[in-house]
Amino acid sequence: MSKIVKSDFNSEAVAGFTHRTAMEEAARCLLCIDAPCSQGCPAGTDPGKFIRSIRFRNVKGAAETIRENNILGGTCARVCPYDRLCEEFCSRCGIDKPIQIGKLQRYAIEQEEAFNMQTLKAPAEKKAGKVACVGAGPASLACASELAKAGYNVTIFEREAEAGGVLTYGIVPTRLPKKVVDHDIKMVKDLGVAFEFNKEVKEADLADFDAVFVGVGLWGAKIPDIKGKDLNNVYAAVDFLKQARTLEDKFIPGENVIVVGGGDVAVDCAVSAKLAGAKNVRIVYRRTIEEAPANMTEFEYALSLGIGITTEMAPAELIGTDKVEFAMFDGRDGVSGAKFKADAVVFAIGQGPEAVDGFAAVATDDKGSVKVSDKFETNNEKVFAAGDIVNGGKTVVEAVAEGKAAAASIMAYLEKKGVK
Amino acid sequence: MAIKKDLSIKYLGVNCENPFFLSSSPVGSNYEMVAKSFEEGWGGVFYKTIGIFVADECSPRFDQTNKEGLPWVGFKNMEQISDKPTEVNFENMFKLKRDYPDKVMVASIMGSCDEEWRQLAKMCDQAGVDLIEGNFSCPQMTSHAMGSDVGTNTDLVRDYCKSVTETTKIPFIAKMTPNITSMEVPARAALAGGAAGVSCINTIKSITNIDFENLTAMPVVNGKSSISGYSGAAVKPIALRFVAQLMQDEIVGKTELSGIGGIETWRDAVEFLLLGCRNLQVTTAIMQYGYRIVEDMISGVSHFMDERGYNKLEDFIGLALPNVIPAEDLNRDFKIYPDFNHDTCIGCGRCYVSCYDAAHQAIDWDQEKRRPVLNDKCVGCHLCLNVCPVQGCITPGEIKWKEGRKPIEIKLKKQYD
Repeated sequence: MSKIVKSDFNSEAVAGFTHRTAMEEAARCLLCIDAPCSQGCPAGTDPGKFIRSIRFRNVKGAAETIRENNILGGTCARVCPYDRLCEEFCSRCGIDKPIQIGKLQRYAIEQEEAFNMQTLKAPAEKKAGKVACVGAGPASLACASELAKAGYNVTIFEREAEAGGVLTYGIVPTRLPKKVVDHDIKMVKDLGVAFEFNKEVKEADLADFDAVFVGVGLWGAKIPDIKGKDLNNVYAAVDFLKQARTLEDKFIPGENVIVVGGGDVAVDCAVSAKLAGAKNVRIVYRRTIEEAPANMTEFEYALSLGIGITTEMAPAELIGTDKVEFAMFDGRDGVSGAKFKADAVVFAIGQGPEAVDGFAAVATDDKGSVKVSDKFETNNEKVFAAGDIVNGGKTVVEAVAEGKAAAASIMAYLEKKGVK
Repeated sequence: MAIKKDLSIKYLGVNCENPFFLSSSPVGSNYEMVAKSFEEGWGGVFYKTIGIFVADECSPRFDQTNKEGLPWVGFKNMEQISDKPTEVNFENMFKLKRDYPDKVMVASIMGSCDEEWRQLAKMCDQAGVDLIEGNFSCPQMTSHAMGSDVGTNTDLVRDYCKSVTETTKIPFIAKMTPNITSMEVPARAALAGGAAGVSCINTIKSITNIDFENLTAMPVVNGKSSISGYSGAAVKPIALRFVAQLMQDEIVGKTELSGIGGIETWRDAVEFLLLGCRNLQVTTAIMQYGYRIVEDMISGVSHFMDERGYNKLEDFIGLALPNVIPAEDLNRDFKIYPDFNHDTCIGCGRCYVSCYDAAHQAIDWDQEKRRPVLNDKCVGCHLCLNVCPVQGCITPGEIKWKEGRKPIEIKLKKQYD
């Protein structure tokens, strides 16, 4: 009999470091010259520097290094695919296993909070330029804070009631607790960035701004066109996760939950369902685990909760009267097949862009993604865009990197326009 | 079958089943503690120092130093001699000797005047202990008539040794303080006063840490603290130095030495034996890990002897002593270049950083391949070998003879752990 992890919906799955265990881990660091880990971060975080700070007992300095570079330092410490980024470059891999860089980053940011540090400051003298950011997800938050640090007036428009976008509505709290997201967002607010929530923004609302940043992410639900897709209790991942996060303990997913997909979002849906009380949760993916985009550690966590993973099965039909009762799958080999009992079916097969023409007249490609230059400029000179709405859906850290780069372009544009 | 070697040794005429003893400290304070240590394999005990003076202790009384998350690199102790009534301690020693006749009982004593030393010696005689150690070295006594203040005064050391050795026939060991430039001086004085041997080192006067909350040293006693004795792994190099100097002294070196200072493992134990000690004392490692550490000392020394074909401790005691020589007698005719194994190298660049910032800029850094390249500035200091985190990556390589010096056959170290 295998031992299954029992956890509740809101407690973080992985325990963090204490002062002592952080020092032990930092002592494993080889303090490389020209540290390879520091070249592995898309957002330009310098782990070589912040780990050295921890090693020499300067944890406040470590927090500064992280926060000054990445406004979502606490969030990224939880959701970054470290094993494919900085940790993969770690020289220590040549001896045994890499330094747990993400966990050390988490420790440093936890200390930032414990010491109530005010790492970032907006200049006392404001610039005249006014910038609107549409959407309050990672790309916008990164863009807005860069602009605010430079003294610009920034307003973020968000159609939901809270900031964070996918961080707040789309990631299971066991992986990313809400208080971590809230602490990161507090840093943005402390920089003087204004937020307007529950605001479905229109083009006219943006007329007074000198520049506009579009960071709306991907919220278009994707459900395959199969028989039974309109039955009740058939969800797209975005809606399922949003329900789970907003209803919290009032969320009842049903007894048998099938999640279709092979990415981190699929795992998040399955974990959410399991932690919310579903008895049997199964991830069904059309390809092999090797081909799946999810982190292995996420699959391992799902497995540890008792979630099953079925591979090389694609959804064929959903059966039921009002609500879904069974899900039929066809095997990749053309021979196999499966019929699963299902009280709910969640499709986590990627999200698509929603139309942006209601607030920004910009060119999009055939998939609906906003087209940008390598400086994140759209075809409308005062409109810039970055993050998932541009790249089709990548990691949080890449959205942060793009948001920062877009901010630099916006500042260059405002300078050129003479908006000081 | 686990390997078992004969670790027995005669120390100052007393048969010891092994050389591993508790040193006079909190670890050997009462009957139950010492009995447990004997059951777990210790060969004997230097029972916690007894005086006419009964200590009044402070709280807290310990602190430790650490480095990069590694605790107990060194340990600070403010505890003085026993806080139990003198009679109770002698009764404990009597009972322990009665119940464990094969274990060695050493009474550690400390007087504050001639009369007290005689009185304590007489009590040792009556209790039937095997050996007596005079504590001339505790650095945290609340009286200047006792402890390391006495140990640095050669007249007092000689006179008090005389007080004891005139009172009893039991062999007497004088415990030396390291808070002195030349330990040979008080050691010779002790022998002149009739001591059979000396033991070293007691703890080193220290301040381990300054507390930022109370702006005093550690441990904090009502917002204040005091200088007191430092021990543990950090002091082993200092202890080995004193051991070597005493053993190389033409008078003291003829006597039997008990070594103390940072012994935690069988390797530490063998190091003290190789410099000539016939008895070993341990406290700090027991405070951190308990009596059970003696199991791996016994097993480890046994394997060491088996590996080298030694049948008794005497086969290797003192073997390293002649090879510790004055700096002016070292051969300075050659340098050994480091050899870099580029296959096992992981490209961290630590050798490059240290060589540039702290040695002779003799390593160039190949940025593209992330590998060190030795240039002609190398002096053979081996700082690179010492900072390399990969075992066996940087090793001693080519031997280069200095201009005009005659090459000879030289002995090398080949294995680095």
